[in-house]
Amino acid sequence: MPCDGQDAHSLCEKAQDVSLQELETQLRPLFLAALAGDAAAYRLFLDTISTRLRGYLRQMLARAGRTDASEAEDVLQETLLALHLSRHTYDPASPVTAWAHAIARYKLVDHLRRSGRHADALPLEDEAHQYAGPADSAASEARLDLTRAMAALPERTRSLIDRVKLQGATVAEAAQAAGMTETAAKVAIHRGLQAMAKFLSRRGTRPG
Amino acid sequence: MQTDDLIALMAADDRPVDTGWLRRATWLCALAALMLAALLVLITLGARPDFAHAWLTRPVIAKMLLGASVASIALVLFQRSLRPGLQPGKRLPLVALPILLVVGWAAFTLAQSPAEQWSTLIFGRYWRACLIAVPLYALIPFAILFALARRGAPVDSRLTGACAGLASAGLATVAYSLHCPDDAVPFLATWYTIAIAAIAGLGALVFPRLLRW
Repeated sequence: MPCDGQDAHSLCEKAQDVSLQELETQLRPLFLAALAGDAAAYRLFLDTISTRLRGYLRQMLARAGRTDASEAEDVLQETLLALHLSRHTYDPASPVTAWAHAIARYKLVDHLRRSGRHADALPLEDEAHQYAGPADSAASEARLDLTRAMAALPERTRSLIDRVKLQGATVAEAAQAAGMTETAAKVAIHRGLQAMAKFLSRRGTRPG
Repeated sequence: MQTDDLIALMAADDRPVDTGWLRRATWLCALAALMLAALLVLITLGARPDFAHAWLTRPVIAKMLLGASVASIALVLFQRSLRPGLQPGKRLPLVALPILLVVGWAAFTLAQSPAEQWSTLIFGRYWRACLIAVPLYALIPFAILFALARRGAPVDSRLTGACAGLASAGLATVAYSLHCPDDAVPFLATWYTIAIAAIAGLGALVFPRLLRW
């Protein structure tokens, strides 16, 4: 569930409306803790930023004449993967919201270019992310892209990911079940996420 | 897969992340590339015959300073261009500063000398060699910086490419100054600048095509 827990929930709900400055004040300490290895802080950061980015992506896609919510969800998932795999590119002296939005914008332009739309024709000015997104910010069904990306993973990694993702097991439990150390399991999950990102960025123009 | 599942999965990959790696790697790669290029210049062309007493003269120091300052500025911007949200493009004109200094110095030199010497001062003896060698040796740092750029998240790959090109040409300038026997400042201002601009252009052209993430 997104934003479970009282604090998390209120933070998430607000993510659409609060000013960028407030959001930055909330998210920066969370992300810095996440970089130091705090999984709970990272989870809260991801929940909050994904709400914000979902609004941004839906708004921008709507301007491009695309109102299919699942398309925004696809770009959001791609953005989140890129965010995760590019954590080392964050400059701790800079605003984390600017970093995340720059990645979302890159993935959005990339998505539009791939799906046969000239991205230059879009009003993608940098200030656009400061506008509030649509009020409806609930997650919607993504298309099957990520599922197909998962299918391309090695069996061992896939079952490990299934345990963590679907059955809600901790990494330690999943690692034990798979007969590997916790560190090895984390490395495997990391490689799995890398492979998924690669799969997504390599696929060509999709139908629809 | 739902976005929540993806988030849960990413939160499980919670090993600490080193945000300083990119900066350290950039400087180490540049240093290694410079040594490699210098070594290659020494092996393939050899040092200039009078290097023992020429290396402390103004022209050689000027060449090295030009290359080193262009490379340093470009490397800082290159490294920052791999970090989304920083917009280092605004500072790109800074690279022109050392070049403008040299061009100004060259103009001053020309103004001080009789017009019949201008051709000698500008073309020197080996302007073609300079024009070929600097871009060629620049390919070493260029390839290394390209490999590094793939480890970053360049949201403006044209800028990343231009910075990588400028840095590579700057490093190659330092390396080639070990050999280059032409010492006139107008020579330096003309041919080195053209070589640097060419590699910067190459970077701006090639990186956006090959750098997708």
